Amino acid sequence: MAAITVNGAQREVQSPVDTPLLYVLRNELDVTSPQFGCGLAQCGACSVLLDGREVRACVTPVSMALGKEVTTIEGLPARWARQKKLPPAEAEKTLHPVQTAWIEEQTPLCGFCQNGMMIKATELLEKTPSPTDAEIKAAFTTSGPSAHLCRCGSYAAILEAVRLASALMMKSGNT
Amino acid sequence: MRPVSEVIDIHGAQLSRRGFLAGGGALVVALEVLPDGAQAAAPNTTLNPAMLSSWIEIGADNTVLIRTGKSDFGQGSIYTAYRQIVAEELDIPFEAITRVVSADTDRTPDGGGTFGFLGDVNGNGMPNLRKVAAYARQALLELAAQRLGVARDQLSVADGVVSGGGKRIRYGELVKDQNLKLTIPIRGQIEGFMGLAVEGNPPMKPVASYKVIGKSFKNSAIVSKVTAKELWVTNVKLPGMLHARMVHPATLGSTLVSVGAFDKAKFPNTQVIVKGNLVGVVAPDEWEAIQAARQVAAATKWSDWKGLPGQANLFRHLRSEADWKSARVNKGAANKGDAASAMAAAAKKFSASYELPYMKHAPIGPTMALADVQPDGMVTVHTHTQNAQQLRVQIALMLGITADKVIVRTYAGAGHYGRSNGGNAGGEDEAVILSKELGRPVRVQWMRADDMQWSTQSPAAYSDIRIGLDAGGRIAAYQANHHMPAGQDDRPIGAVLAGLPTQRPPGDKDRPASGNTLYDEWVYDGILNSEERGHSTWQIGQLDSPLAAGLRDHAMRTPGQYQQNFPRELALSEAAALAGADAIQFRIDHAKEERLKSVLARLRQESGWETRPAPNPRAASAGEMRGQGVSVMLRSGTYWACACQIAVTPATGALAVEKITVVVEPGIVVNPQQLKRQVEGGILMGVSEALYEEVAFDESGVTARDWQSYPILKMADMPEVKVVLVHRPEVGSYGGGSEAANALASPAIAAALFDATGKPVRRLPLRPSYVKGLLQA
Ligand code: FES
Ligand code: FES
Repeated sequence: MAAITVNGAQREVQSPVDTPLLYVLRNELDVTSPQFGCGLAQCGACSVLLDGREVRACVTPVSMALGKEVTTIEGLPARWARQKKLPPAEAEKTLHPVQTAWIEEQTPLCGFCQNGMMIKATELLEKTPSPTDAEIKAAFTTSGPSAHLCRCGSYAAILEAVRLASALMMKSGNT
Repeated sequence: MRPVSEVIDIHGAQLSRRGFLAGGGALVVALEVLPDGAQAAAPNTTLNPAMLSSWIEIGADNTVLIRTGKSDFGQGSIYTAYRQIVAEELDIPFEAITRVVSADTDRTPDGGGTFGFLGDVNGNGMPNLRKVAAYARQALLELAAQRLGVARDQLSVADGVVSGGGKRIRYGELVKDQNLKLTIPIRGQIEGFMGLAVEGNPPMKPVASYKVIGKSFKNSAIVSKVTAKELWVTNVKLPGMLHARMVHPATLGSTLVSVGAFDKAKFPNTQVIVKGNLVGVVAPDEWEAIQAARQVAAATKWSDWKGLPGQANLFRHLRSEADWKSARVNKGAANKGDAASAMAAAAKKFSASYELPYMKHAPIGPTMALADVQPDGMVTVHTHTQNAQQLRVQIALMLGITADKVIVRTYAGAGHYGRSNGGNAGGEDEAVILSKELGRPVRVQWMRADDMQWSTQSPAAYSDIRIGLDAGGRIAAYQANHHMPAGQDDRPIGAVLAGLPTQRPPGDKDRPASGNTLYDEWVYDGILNSEERGHSTWQIGQLDSPLAAGLRDHAMRTPGQYQQNFPRELALSEAAALAGADAIQFRIDHAKEERLKSVLARLRQESGWETRPAPNPRAASAGEMRGQGVSVMLRSGTYWACACQIAVTPATGALAVEKITVVVEPGIVVNPQQLKRQVEGGILMGVSEALYEEVAFDESGVTARDWQSYPILKMADMPEVKVVLVHRPEVGSYGGGSEAANALASPAIAAALFDATGKPVRRLPLRPSYVKGLLQA
């Protein structure tokens, strides 16, 4: 039986190892934030972080995740708490700055693409804490297997939310 | 205390006390249907829509629950504007409304669809919940007057506390342990397109005293979505549930010849269900169902069909082959004067034909629905629908059962932009058919290609516009003939494929297609002679298709108005150029409505507009040509004006939209931050439509399958978007804001391309190949 690490926890997987990670997460492990959008690595609705790198769960067989760390939206608060070494009591009530910014800026419209958008933002900000607008646009357009698509047109809101998340992360880094 | 059975008139509603309820209990302000009221609720609706408690419940703990038949597709209105409107009329804090129940056929009172949130269809700013809350407030005041022994006109309310004569009482205490009924008048049909409407004229709170409306309260659904706590429809699971993938026909007119086999050793738990031309592949494991369905699809044989004109011949077909005579020709409500004579006498004339392609909702997540058909015949559908009550009726019709046997539960899902069907988005009926066959809950998930090829499209359209100018350069005559195939195909496609009963298609062999309404509200009252006509025909391929399918159409964001406003506004910009006038000033000069003139004047200030005639006299520099364009619209009580600046690279034909400014004046702005986000989203969708979107099809069906063959806007290509909200409380109503913005972008961008190049633009989308062709013409 295969085992993968999802949001910090070791999880046993019964599904055949050629099953795309998306279906394993959603159906077997009940981790439901990655969504099915295209199944073709063309949209980003299914994105997760695999050892900190954004991948498309819809085309990533679970075998590729063995021995690696999968992070989804459910695990963003804990990821942040670990990075910031927050005491458990504080960690419990802390959201990842990307989530805080997404709420503050009221970024999602229907929200169905936003799982992937927040995953991409997290990947970007972990590597580039203070990105320029051009870097943000490039991250969401050309850095992955495809552009991250939002049919509702939330791109302007995403740009503002990434700027805010960056500011929040920088602020926390200085304290 | 007054006698038990007394009935008090509350502005046409009736308040009665039916005794007392001991121990806790929420307020039950309830009501009965008035003799002249609506039909009773369908039997499976546990709520009586004529009872106030069906809409609003005020708890003894002072929390409030609201219910609405509408669902959320990303507008946020039911979580923000509706809370604000109810909180305002009741004088309670926004936060006191702790729950919103929406669009479950057995748990919400009024039905209706996911459109026109803030008003009736006329944009009157009277959503049901506003009136319901106003009735409730009056009833609560009456109760407080009795309890406190203070005359009603001596009472005031703040933060849910009624006070007067030195006394005070909270709403919660007023309703605690009581059994009260408030009977409110309603009208309409719960399963109808608009659902039920609350009648009467309870006193409304004066706009000048608003405290909650006008502030940027946050959308509670955003918090649950961002923190992965939302119960998306995609996350709903039922015990024993099976996963299904559909094998849809090879063409939009193919019938099934033979079903393909699959490898039983490899897919041991897979079943294939066939009903007519409906083929479903079902397995307990989703990945097995996907793989097996691929194998079945590859080996399934369908009859051939070539009943469509093909994309290249679309407009030739529409102009010279389609029947526009059988459907009623509609005339514009604002038609006036004698346009033909004035045109004949005009000093200068302009005429043009404009073509708009088929477009797709293309939700980022394709349709998904979960159905559970029980042995006793009860059907429950878990889905993401825009009209739960209408869907319920369609499922009942399909199965030949009564609507009381069907329950539709609505969850969050990927946005559609208008109705991609009549409440059904694609998978619901298929899930029901499969669940009934298998006796287990079945979850149908469409793949990306199913959505591109089998969902409805926004219909293609063309318009012929003529404008005559007088010697002074003013418009003396305006004539428009708008042509668009029928839309509103509400038939669930699974029922169509399975040969099960559906409602009629929009126009069948015996009956002309429904007419093309003049959707684009006329705003140029300064033109003395104007004549608009709307022409309609059958959906393309529908009559010829053995499935009666063809290219099925349905409403998409700003439906019909998009297709009529684009030619009107682009023609206005070209006529302004012919008159040697600035395009914004030209519009102001032909308008009478002060609200329109002032949004245009504001647009001129805010957008960096250069006041001058088009085309742009400045020569291209650094290999780029630059232009500006403008558009206006009146929709659902809101005045809109949009300007954009673009750059064109002649060598490649690439068109970059650099900046878009929108001025929005809805009367009362309910929630500035939410409205701004809606408008930005609409504008960016409009940029996407203007630059890229066109459904590719051949003689057999839609050939677009994915995001490469139906490209949409990417983040790197978005312009700077500036939204200017104009709050005019004196208007007194809430205009809509989730539509219109997408439609404004297209004519403004096309006008800017004309300004940049001097070449007349005649169609969308403005892909590089078209732009290059224009420049070479
Ligand atoms: S669902 Fe994986 S990229 Fe679209
Ligand atoms: S918010 Fe709806 S697709 Fe992005």
